[in-house]
Amino acid sequence: MRAILNAARTGFAEIWAHKTRSVLSFLAIAAGSVVFIDAFSAIFHTYERLQKQKEVSGIARLKIVQNRAQSFASPDDYTPPPVMTYEDVLALRERVPGLHMVSPEGSDWRNVLEYEGRRVVTALTGVTPEWTKRDFVYTLKGRFIDWHDVENKLRVCVLVQKAPPPPSNSYEKMNRNRWNISGSFDTMVAHTDLLGKDVLIDNLSFTVIGILEELPYSRRPYIVGQTTDYKVLAPVTTMAHYEFIGPMQSLDVNIDTGDEKTFDDAMRKVNNFLKVRFGDGEFFLLENRLEMIRDTIGKEIKAALVTISLGMLAFIAGGIGIMNVTLATVFARTREIGVRRAIGASRSDIMLQFVVEAVMLGLIGGVLGSALGYLWGVPLKVILGMSANPIKAWMPMVSVLIAALTAFVFAIYPAWVAAGLKPADALRAE
Amino acid sequence: MSIKCSELTKVYEGGHAGWPALRGVSFEIKPGEFAAVTGPSGCGKSTLLNIIGLLDEPSGGGYELNGRDVFTLSDQERSDLRRDGIGFVFQSFHLLNRMSAMENVCLPMMYAGVPSAAMRERAAALLSKVGLRGKEKKTPLELSGGERQRVAIARALANSPKIILADEPTGNLDSVSSREIIDALLGLNAEGITVVMVTHDRELAARAARNIRMRDGRIEP
Repeated sequence: MRAILNAARTGFAEIWAHKTRSVLSFLAIAAGSVVFIDAFSAIFHTYERLQKQKEVSGIARLKIVQNRAQSFASPDDYTPPPVMTYEDVLALRERVPGLHMVSPEGSDWRNVLEYEGRRVVTALTGVTPEWTKRDFVYTLKGRFIDWHDVENKLRVCVLVQKAPPPPSNSYEKMNRNRWNISGSFDTMVAHTDLLGKDVLIDNLSFTVIGILEELPYSRRPYIVGQTTDYKVLAPVTTMAHYEFIGPMQSLDVNIDTGDEKTFDDAMRKVNNFLKVRFGDGEFFLLENRLEMIRDTIGKEIKAALVTISLGMLAFIAGGIGIMNVTLATVFARTREIGVRRAIGASRSDIMLQFVVEAVMLGLIGGVLGSALGYLWGVPLKVILGMSANPIKAWMPMVSVLIAALTAFVFAIYPAWVAAGLKPADALRAE
Repeated sequence: MSIKCSELTKVYEGGHAGWPALRGVSFEIKPGEFAAVTGPSGCGKSTLLNIIGLLDEPSGGGYELNGRDVFTLSDQERSDLRRDGIGFVFQSFHLLNRMSAMENVCLPMMYAGVPSAAMRERAAALLSKVGLRGKEKKTPLELSGGERQRVAIARALANSPKIILADEPTGNLDSVSSREIIDALLGLNAEGITVVMVTHDRELAARAARNIRMRDGRIEP
């Protein structure tokens, strides 16, 4: 241990004596550190979001949607295609037991909501209590729709209060505003206490039993799939009963099979159910969300690997720099090596001396790189308007360790050269 | 420690390819002797001293240090012997200029694993012994030639060696300093340390109890 400390002291003096050379070596290694920290934080952030998405959205997800092509493309002998009704959903629940969530959804895209003489445009979505099982990124005031409401087709509704929109560019803003026909509704929900009040939706009286406040965007984990822009939720049966959902309109069904392992089996069972109930016409399609999630993860990991390999290259370049500097040091200090050997230093002592010095270069470079990486990773990226991933404390530490390890590996050859010098030859060196 | 060389040869490779520096050198130095090796430049004095000090290996012949055949020693054993048994004093001092006099003297003890406090205490005592009390913190560049050589002597004594090998120890010094250094070496010899000194200064050699004269890689009879 003392030998290492002494070597470190000599190393520090050596680094100090050759400041320019040392700073260049630090910078080479620091570049690797910066890229590495960036890659680390990207990978870790993806992983974290994925874990959160698993918790909130589940991963073994399916969605039954109507196959429009099959249903409406035939030019002759038009017969109305089958539609997915609430009864079909109940039958699916019964025939394919064990699914974590079977949540039907039927939407009316434009409704008028009236409260105390103010009329705003909104959109009604019919759901069941199962809707809350997944993607519940809200805090609920009041209560949600229950099975009693659904079975009795009660005129109750839950309003969604929007979170402020995420930071976005002008194109995204334009698109968001272009499609949002219910901006006035959002304003009304945000500024009027409607909980427990009666409102008119398309001139039909509904009681507001709950308000769902959206969580801010920063706390929503999605990386795959988009959330539907919900405005007003009502029992799906009530909507069908009062013909907000027409007899020709098919419900979408969001399914969580519950487990990645039984996903394929569950998917086969749901497909069988569709065949038995609606025939071979493929009037419905099964969206495989798991596959989409896996594809996205794969892409993100590939991107991160590219960054990591760039970081590795930067480290190797830095390592070669350190090797070069260490070799130069060995040749410049040949006589010193001779003196140390003469007074009793063994080959391993000499090797240790140069390895410790190189590792110090790597360590200091790593620390410098970590500081730069942090500066780049958070404040600079924010200033430049790039998405910044959070940097965890362990990332700079690992990066410094890798920098030190790189320096260690690349110092072995020069140190071995130094240790191999014959004492008498080394003493004679000019 | 005794030194026994028999028919030592040394042929340099590389730059001096095939050039024999030693052509069969045999002699014995008993423990406690003060021997001066003299001869003109290029006669093989320094080569011989390097071999005796385990800094270089002979091309042939035999060498026993304290009864041990040095050919059978590993690099680690040779390093340990240099560290604990032999002290070197060189013509150009060979001190590390970045370090203080104190640190230079501490260096051999550091390799021997002497605890820090003991190491500094002994280094201070040795510097005091060679007359450099109060100059412990000076670097070699801040000292005169004679002072530097005295630091080198203190360093050579750090691990209480049995042999001091001095290669032209006064070669870079004025006559006053030279006398001081020789007096110091004689003093050490009086304490029982074997001293082998290479010099081409006949006057200095005359102060040694024994003279080994060399010419063209051989010992003159």
